[in-house]
Amino acid sequence: MITDIVTIFQDYWLLLLIGQYPNGPLGGLANTLILSALSIALAFPVSILMALARLSKWRLLRWPVTVLVYVTRGVPLLMLILWSYFLVPLMTGADVPSFVTMLTTLVIYQGAFLSEVVRGGIVALSHGQMDAAKALGHSYLGAMRFVILPQALYNMIPSILSTFVSTIKDTTLGYVINVPDLTFAASQVNNQLLTQPFQVFLILAVIYYVICWSLTHATHRLERRITRRRAGLSAGRTAPVVAPPVKIATEQP
Amino acid sequence: MTSLDRTGPQNGQDPTAIRIAGVSKTYGTYEVLKGIDVEVARGEVVVICGPSGSGKSTLIRTINRLEEINSGAITFDGQNIHAPMKTRDLNRLRSRIGFVFQSFNLFPHLSVVDNVSMSPIRVKGVSRDVAHDKALLLLDRVGLADKATAYPGQLSGGQQQRVAIARALAMEPPVMLFDEPTSALDPEMVGEVLAVMKSLAKDGMTMLCVTHEMGFARDVADRIWFIDAGEIIEKATPEEFFTHPRHPRAQRFLADLRH
Repeated sequence: MITDIVTIFQDYWLLLLIGQYPNGPLGGLANTLILSALSIALAFPVSILMALARLSKWRLLRWPVTVLVYVTRGVPLLMLILWSYFLVPLMTGADVPSFVTMLTTLVIYQGAFLSEVVRGGIVALSHGQMDAAKALGHSYLGAMRFVILPQALYNMIPSILSTFVSTIKDTTLGYVINVPDLTFAASQVNNQLLTQPFQVFLILAVIYYVICWSLTHATHRLERRITRRRAGLSAGRTAPVVAPPVKIATEQP
Repeated sequence: MTSLDRTGPQNGQDPTAIRIAGVSKTYGTYEVLKGIDVEVARGEVVVICGPSGSGKSTLIRTINRLEEINSGAITFDGQNIHAPMKTRDLNRLRSRIGFVFQSFNLFPHLSVVDNVSMSPIRVKGVSRDVAHDKALLLLDRVGLADKATAYPGQLSGGQQQRVAIARALAMEPPVMLFDEPTSALDPEMVGEVLAVMKSLAKDGMTMLCVTHEMGFARDVADRIWFIDAGEIIEKATPEEFFTHPRHPRAQRFLADLRH
């Protein structure tokens, strides 16, 4: 069993790593990492904009985004992916690469989820913070940028992290529209071997676990660093140890 | 101070710092403020007192438009704060009115010195170095120079409120508003905050304070406004107010305080 896995790894590591590149499109783990990183990097700012739109006093901004968030959250991701895969070329006539389709769909879907997390973080802050910023002459957006968001995002790190992790895992769904990612490569391997699905997909599971765990670990380190700095511990002085903030366990979507 | 000649605005030499004219505010059918008409002269220290729920805090929050009003006008710097205006103009007006909150509302993610220097940098465009030096001076003034690198969570309530005063002063406002600045403090910390406020008053700052500290009112205020059920029912000097309150409601309020 273990020897099987080692053999599979030795034979197919390059396919799992970069797909058929350079003879074909970049795939495998490399593509999964690129897709994940881009999805997170784009979904995060998008989610902040969506959260601000949801909190806006202008209906023209608030309503469309609210509808988008509700619809997106109420529909399975797989359905959205298939929809954009089949409908966008039908309606626009454009030949959209499946990678782009997958990226866009993920950004909108995870952006919608994340925007509710961000909105929750903003709403949970006391009104006093916005009042104080306004009283000092900050504009609404200035107050958001310098006062509200730094606190709201920090408080929401655990929930933001779990959305990031589920974004990474959701990249596997690109398989159904032939995005050549790690899952796609693993299934190619499986199709060639035919007899060792358990071993092949165990490798897949372990790789995904390591990626997600690394992100979790990195985020926890970041969070600890911010907490220490805000408690004044990095200043090197003896300061009262502040109890770590209570973490809110959030379910993953 | 109380008998300043009040003529109209004359090139910024208007002796009136804040003019509140016919201000009314309702929450649904409940009238919080019923046609308030008062003025604060430049350099004057006014203490607003009254029973809880009388509209004191609402009144002071309308002055920099943290609360909207239903009718009337509040004039500051020759402009009605409650007139329809661009938000940029409102922000500029607000930046010239210092406000100190009951619950301090320091920014917990910023160090003390950043709390004080952030708004001059971001709102007024002061350079980082200048704002930083100014912040240290102000912190020294409120007796907290040694806490510059601390974070608000490490400070006592009294220290936090003094930082909040320094933060408001950093914008160099000609007027300071205090909304029950000592009500959230442990008794032994009230004195340090009042001392800072007293020194501000001595320097000629125009101040409006909602407070229950009658000792402060007696020693520092030029005038006392007694507010009840949304109306200012007594405007008097501290001597008059504490020795001969005219309105029965004010008499009862003072009697209750003596218990």
